[in-house]
Amino acid sequence: MVNVEVAYAKSEEQAIVALAMEDGATVEAAINASRLLERFPEIGLSGINAGIFGVACKLDQPVSEGDRIEIYRPLVHDPKEARRQRALKT
Amino acid sequence: MPVSLENPTLIDQINALLPQTQCGQCSFQGCRPYAEAIASGAADINQCPPGGDEGIRDLADLLGVPPKPLNAKFGIHKPASVAFIIEEDCIGCTKCIAACPVDAILGASKFMHTVIVSECTGCELCVAPCPVDCIVMQPAPPSNTARSRAQKSAQAKRRYDARCLRKEMEEAEKAERAKKKKLALLKMQAAKK
Repeated sequence: MVNVEVAYAKSEEQAIVALAMEDGATVEAAINASRLLERFPEIGLSGINAGIFGVACKLDQPVSEGDRIEIYRPLVHDPKEARRQRALKT
Repeated sequence: MPVSLENPTLIDQINALLPQTQCGQCSFQGCRPYAEAIASGAADINQCPPGGDEGIRDLADLLGVPPKPLNAKFGIHKPASVAFIIEEDCIGCTKCIAACPVDAILGASKFMHTVIVSECTGCELCVAPCPVDCIVMQPAPPSNTARSRAQKSAQAKRRYDARCLRKEMEEAEKAERAKKKKLALLKMQAAKK
């Protein structure tokens, strides 16, 4: 078994779920086992973006002991567009 | 360094009383280096602003010395706070994630970064690296302040130790890859001759 955590964060609420997964389990399996998709139904809408400790990865990547599988949200603004707007203002 | 539970060294005992914010305000590179300096007599017990008077009292009790006021040269004791990311401004650059000693920020390159409040120690180390100044400090919520200092520091230490171990392994893997690349290059050069 491998001990992992699955985490999802919004500014007003965050969740970390500790899980023991079978050896060779994938990121996708861990996310499903965490039941975070039921708790935060907005996650599933546009395909899941996931990663481990700040680095995005594919859903079929196997998990390792101690991993924190993270479910990511998109940025509010496109950074290039935001910079353009800031530059216009000054 | 593994900590033996039956016979923790003086350094481990001192380190266990420090808040594990790793903030560096004491002038050392984190809580354990400060604990080492206290143990060796190189630093005084009143250099930790996050620990404040309570922390100084604990250290004084452990070491059998009289407590003294916090040395203001190293900062002042502030109410517990946590970092907050202004989502409209975050550009997903990962600089705050790299700076956080306890993995309290969730996010990846070009994805939203979010502070996990229950993990944040309020060390403020993420504030300065942000290129768009989108991280502000806010008062810690009751769910954080309700936990004892010992609980909070134990959690922070567990996260910090896990992070250090992970970084060490990443460095070792990187060095291994570089070594392999160099060997392959040398082989190629030898074959050319």
